[in-house]
Amino acid sequence: MWSEDDVNLNRRQVLWAGGSIGAAALLSACSGSKNAGSSGPEGAPQQGGTLRVGALGHASAITRDPHGNQGNESDYLIIALVYDTLTAPGLKQNTVDRLASGWTPSKDLGTWRFTIAKGATFHDGTPVTADDVAWSLRRLRNTPAGAARLPGIQAKNITSDGKDTVVLVSDYANGELPLLTRLTTFVLKKDTPEKDIAKAPGTGPFKLDWYRGGNARLLRNEHWYRGRVHLDAIEVTMFESPQAMANALLSGQIDVASNAGAVAARTAAARTDIQVIRRPNDMAMPIVMRTADGPFADPRVRAAMKLVVDREAMVKQVLSGYGSVANDILGTGDPQYAKDIPQRRRDLAKAEQLLAEAKFDLSRTYDLVTTEDIAGLAESATLFAAQAREAGIKVNVVKQESGTFYDRTWLKGDFYTNYWGTNDSVVFFASKTMVTGAGQNEAGWSDPQFDQAYRQVIGTADDKARATALHELQQIEYDRSGYLLWGMADGIDLATYKVHGLPKLPGYGRVQLENVWLSR
Amino acid sequence: MSETALEGAFTPSVLHRATVVCGRVALLLAKRVLMLFVLLAVVFAAIQLLPGDAASATSDRGESAADIAARRHQLGLDRPVWIRFWEWITALPTGNLGTSARGQRVTDLLSAPFPNTILLGGTAFALTVVAALALGCWAAARPGGVVDRVIGLASTAAFALPEFVVSVGLLLALSLWTGWLPAATTTSADGSPASWTMLVMPVLALAVPQTGWNTRVVRAALTDQAKAPHVEAAHLDGLPSRRILLRHQLPGALPAIATGIATSTGMLLGGAVVVETLFNYPGIGTVLAGAIGDRDTPVIAGVVACAGAVISLVLLLADLIRARTLGARP
Repeated sequence: MWSEDDVNLNRRQVLWAGGSIGAAALLSACSGSKNAGSSGPEGAPQQGGTLRVGALGHASAITRDPHGNQGNESDYLIIALVYDTLTAPGLKQNTVDRLASGWTPSKDLGTWRFTIAKGATFHDGTPVTADDVAWSLRRLRNTPAGAARLPGIQAKNITSDGKDTVVLVSDYANGELPLLTRLTTFVLKKDTPEKDIAKAPGTGPFKLDWYRGGNARLLRNEHWYRGRVHLDAIEVTMFESPQAMANALLSGQIDVASNAGAVAARTAAARTDIQVIRRPNDMAMPIVMRTADGPFADPRVRAAMKLVVDREAMVKQVLSGYGSVANDILGTGDPQYAKDIPQRRRDLAKAEQLLAEAKFDLSRTYDLVTTEDIAGLAESATLFAAQAREAGIKVNVVKQESGTFYDRTWLKGDFYTNYWGTNDSVVFFASKTMVTGAGQNEAGWSDPQFDQAYRQVIGTADDKARATALHELQQIEYDRSGYLLWGMADGIDLATYKVHGLPKLPGYGRVQLENVWLSR
Repeated sequence: MSETALEGAFTPSVLHRATVVCGRVALLLAKRVLMLFVLLAVVFAAIQLLPGDAASATSDRGESAADIAARRHQLGLDRPVWIRFWEWITALPTGNLGTSARGQRVTDLLSAPFPNTILLGGTAFALTVVAALALGCWAAARPGGVVDRVIGLASTAAFALPEFVVSVGLLLALSLWTGWLPAATTTSADGSPASWTMLVMPVLALAVPQTGWNTRVVRAALTDQAKAPHVEAAHLDGLPSRRILLRHQLPGALPAIATGIATSTGMLLGGAVVVETLFNYPGIGTVLAGAIGDRDTPVIAGVVACAGAVISLVLLLADLIRARTLGARP
């Protein structure tokens, strides 16, 4: 579920489903015309109508603060429709414009200046100023999660310059800084009192009509600075389980079931009145092997494990086919993902040879720890264990309750499954999970060559040199990282056929509903 | 109470009796409050014993150990559990249930779900009482007859069905196949179900297994009473059997029936967790399920306090009915 900077989502909140909130958005929302990543047949959008959306959430985890830790997809959806972020995720580029119309770095890539879009106003009509944006970003930075959301940017280094420019100074050169502002930088009015946060006017395509117990009704913002919004209103209903949400869709109570998952998709596939919208590269479900010490410390052992897995079978059985095979490099949705690195395939002979060379103890049984946090995760461990047995490796699957897993296994264990919602960039995963000393270095990896490639990528302004370094980084990751990434799960939304223009980007992309329209 | 009844006409003894009843109620109430207090202490302790805590459960994945420690401090989780319990329990009488790990007031989180669950549970409870009494009496009217055997079998089967199975069956039969009823509950702006039709299936899912159980209780209690001397005497007097059943057997059976039905309250609220999730009914059952995953102690304790208060109240009423009928010390 988490992706990048973002991470609005906390770990345990996504017990429901293959729920990832990743990222995405519309590319050219200015004119409100068709956008590259959306569903439905072409044709002139019709104006009007109320879209009824179901989204997952728990009543206990309700969060109204746009800068709080939104555990609920439903809350994030509502917030993302009412408030705008500075930038947004895109299909052809990792980062596209939103409330910021553009951004420029200093030569050393340490200082970034964001220009606020012309004509941007809050729902009460007041124009958005750089002061509002700087205040909102500082407020975000000062939350407990702030350091994770805006890494390297101290609150005091977020300032306004004039009426329409916000300046962010990073503690280090960071060519990917705008990517950090895609998902959580919701802008509120400067000095909004804490008690009014839930009702504070935003700048987004929809205005809040009412919110109660996780459900909400939103009305079109007639004066949205990015163009015309088609729908009159959106009604969001929170669902505790994907099953109940799918049932509601099948019985005609909602028009869209957001992030309903593969199981619901299979049910709906038999129905002619329901469209299944697949958003590729939505979620990574890697198997993590500890590199620092333990039985997988030898890179030959890790390489062998990556040759043991039958990736096609995993996608077919674990994801019901709603996914794609991956190549042990995280960040598959990145436009600069190294597609030219050869796809690893199952090769048991080679694997056995590598294991023999590394003197891997085949008499032992290895525990693979997993959880049932998302659909398919435990199944992936079980299927992998069966495949490993064919190579003579004894793997015993151990299921842990989510809390226990994060307390005892995550970041520490030798061998476990985990998941990341993403179309996040390759660099994001490198920075969060693979660079030496990274906060979520799940495999305890430390590779000087990798670190050097990483530093080169984020510190290089020249596109070509940067691309070369990024390729090098991916090659090292492919060769010897602790990640066995066998596939990527699709994000799956279900909708009736009268809904058009639904976003097709992975993760958080599903919340960008401003271009949706209803045919009548 | 028989001796007081003899002198009931005298005002002083009426006063005396009222005092005795009030005293008894107060004693019962005090007992229930004490039990609730102990229960809540156990809840706090149990959550403390689970691995992980609310600070890490509600953190972003990118957060460092220091960030999580800061959040832990912000939530006050770095203080001993008994201090947190004491603060929470002493604020309880003022109606303050604390704040959730995500910064919402617990009273706000429960303000819509609690009435919704009372509506769901209350309706299911009423239906259970009526159906169980009717079926139980019908079965007891001719012991060993066809009706008795059919009801006996059906009620055993119904009680053996988990709410989950009943729910799925109802969903398929009444909604997905026929389209008669909405499959899930959506709410209106005030947080209550948008239509009463959304209550039908959740109520049935809760009431069916409990009706099965209570029909057995009613039937058994009536059978016991049938052997009572005054009932046999009534038969010998040639009174109509329906009249004997309703006027002579039923009153004597009431204490057992009241106790049986009262214990159903707990089962109804327990079943609500499952049923609410399946029908997306916005009640406290769903709040509880999510809060446990989050280790969100104030929310869990808030739900337990609300549910505990309701169950205590119903048990108290059952005790009073028993006390009144039996004339014995509760």
